[in-house]
Amino acid sequence: MTSKFTISRRDFLATTAAVTAMAGVSMPKFAFGKDNVVKIGFLAPLTGEVSAWGKPGLDGCKIWADWVNADGGVKIGDEAYKVEFIAYDDEYDPSKARTGAVKLVKEDDVKFVMMLGGDPWPGAAPIAEKENMLFSTLLPSDLSPETELLVAPCEVHPIYNVTGVEWLAENKPELKTAVVCAQDDSLGKPSVATYLAAFEAAGIEVLDEPIFFDPATTDFAPLMSKMLALKPDIICLDTCYADYVHPLVEQAFQQGFKGQMISCTADFYEKLVEKTSKEFMEGFIFQFPDFDDPAMNAEHVNFNKPNDFYSEYVKRYGKGEWSAVSWEYASIMDLWADAAGRAGTTEPVKVLEAMKVGGTGRQAFGEAKWWGKELFGIDNALVGEWPVVAIKDGKAKIQDFKSIPAWWEKHSDLMIKHMKALNQMYYQRG
Amino acid sequence: MHKPDSHSVNLAAAFGFVLLAGVLIVLPHLLSFSQQEVLVLLVINVLLVCSYRLLTLTGEWSLAHAVIMGVGAYTSALVAKKLSVPVPLAMLAGASMAGFIAFLLSFPLFRMKGFYFLIASFAAGEVIRLSWKWSDLTFLFGGPKGIKRIPAFPDFLTIDFYEPVNYYYLCLVVVAVSLLILYRIEKSRIGLTFHAIHWQDKLAESVGVNTFRYRTLAFVFSAFFAGLAGALYAHYVGAIAPNRFSVEEMVYILIWAIVGGTATFYGPIIGVVVLTIVNEIVLRSLGVEEMRPMFYGALLIIAILFLPNGLESLVPKIKRLFRGRDKEGNGSLASPQVAE
Repeated sequence: MTSKFTISRRDFLATTAAVTAMAGVSMPKFAFGKDNVVKIGFLAPLTGEVSAWGKPGLDGCKIWADWVNADGGVKIGDEAYKVEFIAYDDEYDPSKARTGAVKLVKEDDVKFVMMLGGDPWPGAAPIAEKENMLFSTLLPSDLSPETELLVAPCEVHPIYNVTGVEWLAENKPELKTAVVCAQDDSLGKPSVATYLAAFEAAGIEVLDEPIFFDPATTDFAPLMSKMLALKPDIICLDTCYADYVHPLVEQAFQQGFKGQMISCTADFYEKLVEKTSKEFMEGFIFQFPDFDDPAMNAEHVNFNKPNDFYSEYVKRYGKGEWSAVSWEYASIMDLWADAAGRAGTTEPVKVLEAMKVGGTGRQAFGEAKWWGKELFGIDNALVGEWPVVAIKDGKAKIQDFKSIPAWWEKHSDLMIKHMKALNQMYYQRG
Repeated sequence: MHKPDSHSVNLAAAFGFVLLAGVLIVLPHLLSFSQQEVLVLLVINVLLVCSYRLLTLTGEWSLAHAVIMGVGAYTSALVAKKLSVPVPLAMLAGASMAGFIAFLLSFPLFRMKGFYFLIASFAAGEVIRLSWKWSDLTFLFGGPKGIKRIPAFPDFLTIDFYEPVNYYYLCLVVVAVSLLILYRIEKSRIGLTFHAIHWQDKLAESVGVNTFRYRTLAFVFSAFFAGLAGALYAHYVGAIAPNRFSVEEMVYILIWAIVGGTATFYGPIIGVVVLTIVNEIVLRSLGVEEMRPMFYGALLIIAILFLPNGLESLVPKIKRLFRGRDKEGNGSLASPQVAE
């Protein structure tokens, strides 16, 4: 049996047009050269108790890379570069961070390394210095005059925490007293100093000394009982890790607290709502929005398509997996790509120069300035506006964007006073 | 049955030693940059876990060993940084301070035995560790953030000890000498007394052995070398913090010792080497960063289920395999309780 295959002229033209159109859609705008790949190091905790501030960031970076690569890559000079992230789990340990930094810089040939920062940074610092590599941190308290190649271009922890307290004082003036707790470590200490300054500036009395609990704590009932015994209007959970925020909030709920809660983060807050109730979580203040928030479409926001980014994140990793850092490393990448594009090179020192040119930069929530000399001894933190978020009917909603530099203008002396008292000024640390 | 004479045994041992030395000298040059970094930390951890084994010879398992390592690290870092003492001397000061702290701790701790000693050692360790975080002492210990920019081991002629290969050789020499001392202690009359205290402490006391003193001696020796490991760590990484010496780190020491086995001198060394290679090289190279704890945990469970006497129990089997003695049926394993 023979088959007879015929094609009409109309079919031929239609098929050709369709194939051409599909090829056009699927082809990137720039064709990558054979070796045009720029590698970026991701050195953060991907396992352990601090992983909630590492892994979601890597997940966000994967979306960022997919989008940028699909759009033709990062344009540097006359070439387009595909971006590839290479991750190393530093386990929040300086020696692992050192090993990871060596691998990323000397073996993987990355051009930029993003870190969470904190305890691991001192392990990686000598590699940054010796190899002239640009590093970023989410914790500006890592900054010091000796670390010129370390920048904090997105998160300005813990300074932005002042905005939440400032907003509370303006909108709920009936709240007069607060208690503060945090884990006793390099994140908790400067954060407590910041909240103490913010409460003092807002005229809110902090009852008793802040409670510093050991990071090994697992039973939070006694701690919450101690705080509630002081009958505060506000419970401040400072910058506790998600592993502490959740049991602390559960304890507050179980022990019948009815007042205001404020925290730096409320990662995976939907699980908190499930564990307690919508009513209990109503009005919980923290500093990290969901990016599906309509307020994220404001003109001053620099993050690329925040609503779509959030949808894609939820689609890939699940509802309730969005956290404080899901977007932050991606936001840093926006800044890096822009600077590399302007510098026309991926050379770390030149990119840093381009990043800081003019003393300002496009931070995720708006135009910001390179700042920090008084607090960190070096102007390597990008500081501008930061959102204040409250849980409303079980969903995070941006209440306002408030200016950190404006607060600093008025209350810098308070901040320095409390930082000094807790030995957190750059010249007091280690 | 043919029995090898002592001459051929000595010859074989010498050959094995030379071969091992050769491998250890060449090894870093066969590794990547990051694997060299892992190698340095591995050698330091070999000293740590071997020092821990010395204490276990007396039958006591402490949960303060990671903190004792920290005492050595903190002391060495502070002496070098604040008093500008040369790093090699600071290291000795760190090791000595760790030994001294162990001596002080021995008075309350050796009033207890077994489980009570275990828990009390944990409590004592936590008191020390939390004192490093105490706000009033931040000026000294740096608080939760610890001490950073610790002076590095000074360059010697043109040798830069920032380079992992060079620091590895330094550690190799220090650790080899330390292991030799630990081995000699174990084989001496003192070491035999440690064993006696472990298995028959009442009998030992009845023949005039002061068990408290010998337990203290084991604790102090063990702490000295743990402190030395801490000092080597501090001057290499350049930063230490209280969390680095937490109970989580202690669990690693226990795992190395248990999985490797503590019946022989080499048991803990096998444990730390194998588990470090699995965790830091194999699992990382598989690209399962976020799943590593799960795989690592599964491997530990498998090891404990199928090798209850530790990895060291494989060594006699392998030896028999090479000697072709399996057929003779002469191969019941040596009791894991008997030190080699």
